[in-house]
Amino acid sequence: MNFLFIIIYAITLIYFAYSERVKKFVWLLSVQGFVLFGMVFSSLKEIEIFDFIFILTETILVKSIIVPWFLNRVRKHNGLKRIHEPSIPVFYSVIIVILTLILSFVLSNNILNSQMHTQFFTVAFASVIFGFYFIINHKNIFSHLVGYLIIENGIFMISLAVGNTMPLLVNLAVLLDIVLGILVLGVFLNRVGNTFQSDEINQLTELKD
Amino acid sequence: MFIFFIIISIVISFSIFILKNKIATNILPIVFLILLIMLSGYAYMNINKTENYFFTYDSLGVLFTFVLTILSIATYYFSRSYLKNEDYSSRKVSVYYSALIMLITAIMTTYFSNNFAVLWVSIEATSLFVSMLIFFERTKVALEAAWKYLFVSSIGIAVAFIGILLMGIAVSNYGLTDLSFGTLSNVVKSMNTYWLKISVLFIVAGFSVKLSVFPLYAVAVDAKTIAPSPINAIMSTALVNVGFVAFFRTFAIISHTPILAWTQNVLFIIGLFSIFIASIQLTRVKRLKRAFAFSTMEHMGIISLGLAVGGIGYYAVILHIVLHSFVKAGLFYQINKIHSIFKSKWINDFSAYFKINPLAGLSLILGFISVLAIPPSGLFVSEFLIFKALFLSHQYIIAVVALILLTVIMVILSKIFLTILFGNVQENIKVDKINPLGNIIQLSFFGLVIYLGINPPPFFMDLINSSISILN
Repeated sequence: MNFLFIIIYAITLIYFAYSERVKKFVWLLSVQGFVLFGMVFSSLKEIEIFDFIFILTETILVKSIIVPWFLNRVRKHNGLKRIHEPSIPVFYSVIIVILTLILSFVLSNNILNSQMHTQFFTVAFASVIFGFYFIINHKNIFSHLVGYLIIENGIFMISLAVGNTMPLLVNLAVLLDIVLGILVLGVFLNRVGNTFQSDEINQLTELKD
Repeated sequence: MFIFFIIISIVISFSIFILKNKIATNILPIVFLILLIMLSGYAYMNINKTENYFFTYDSLGVLFTFVLTILSIATYYFSRSYLKNEDYSSRKVSVYYSALIMLITAIMTTYFSNNFAVLWVSIEATSLFVSMLIFFERTKVALEAAWKYLFVSSIGIAVAFIGILLMGIAVSNYGLTDLSFGTLSNVVKSMNTYWLKISVLFIVAGFSVKLSVFPLYAVAVDAKTIAPSPINAIMSTALVNVGFVAFFRTFAIISHTPILAWTQNVLFIIGLFSIFIASIQLTRVKRLKRAFAFSTMEHMGIISLGLAVGGIGYYAVILHIVLHSFVKAGLFYQINKIHSIFKSKWINDFSAYFKINPLAGLSLILGFISVLAIPPSGLFVSEFLIFKALFLSHQYIIAVVALILLTVIMVILSKIFLTILFGNVQENIKVDKINPLGNIIQLSFFGLVIYLGINPPPFFMDLINSSISILN
């Protein structure tokens, strides 16, 4: 079952590279949230009620509902529809994400550690690398926020792969930090849109001496 | 006690934010400062005690808490005059104090956390609150700096989190789930060195955004150029110390593993690159705050070298970072005055400061001597010890290259300082009534730096020696 979710997650990454509509990015992030829930749920050996509620909150409620809903509001506020001129054409982006997945797959198969769930690494590495690529390739700061969330999802899978379960309180604090970070970034993004009349990173150049 | 401190701080911060009136913004920050002083005393009395499972009052934490408490009191004093001069609305003032209190609380949590995950959470929290303060003046550049700082910090801290998770592999191998520094120190020795190296690289690269060193230094420099001066005093000192705590804890874990030598080389590279970049960038700066931001980067580069070389370098590093905190805070408080007199932020607009305001000029001269590590500055003692350690460990090339770069920095900063102090008097400068008391704090800080360097009190030395005992 895990492999099905991993394959779906890999497809969302390819779709990210293929898409040019901002709305699609938000939708894909929401799908990734559901896929992450599936991954965690299918890899649980025994379910404790508090852990289950936390996982449900982190993946479905936060990653699939709250964050996409908030991003949609930011998108509408700034009137964003399509991304303009990614630095690298879509065709090459799709090739790059596929190469990243292959590299990640090869790397994961070379990990020799009985304690680690290496199958998660196959897409986790790819997600982190692709997140960085997504930020570099797009000039729009909304896309940068999306790239950051792709990296965060990759890190979530690395934590699954490592199998390191932190205490619930710490997990909650980590989640709260990330959510607050996204909310504050979203608020700043709205203000950037209002102040600079653009969400292009090229416009943010007033800091240099 | 510590969990109560966090809860009460949140309540105070929230109350200021909700009430938005003068009584709240005048009284509640003082209540918070009293609480901070009490916690510092309590932590010192209960050194090495662990509370609420995740917090330990260790020597390094206690030392930095003393520094933070002193700086917080001074920052509160200068914040009052800064907010009064600019005549901000009570709503904005409440946001300022509310965010400042939460920032100080998050910094304190970082100092005392004994667990990597809690450290990470606290550091991420500092990014959130400081970005609100960077944006405080609501200008275009403030917005740009706040966005870039928060975004790149979040990315950097996310990268560090990958490193922490990878280090967690060692813990998982033992069937444990605890990411405390003590547990990690015990178990990482058996970890695959390849994974450990990757983990260290991620952690160091990620937290470099907080320490203001290579590679993720740029956004911190930009933010320090734009943030209000009293906030800058915290950002260039206590917040930089947060980055140091993250580096130090990681280094302490690694110090008993086979990759210690490799990690030292990484720190040498970080240190040299940081000093090199600072020296290049300083030739191009036009804003005074930016010059000091790069000066912070230079000092953090020196600290990386000291941490890498070991031996007496460890002692010098802690001494250097404590003294740097007082020097840089004093200078940023002074910049606040310079900006208000010249009504500008550009170096070219500043001149004849010594003639316009002699006491403040004297204070700036002392700051100049201190930050450039010229005797009798305490920073001279710490830098001397770091370079002594470099020569004793036969790192001649690193030491010579660093000394050449430091000479370049010294020349550039001297030129800036001398122009500000003794340049030609500008005719269009109108000086308001100057309060001589406004310089007492800066003068005390610079005096303290000389005193602590020449004649460090026994309790101060004990705290430093106890902090570094984990490395030896």
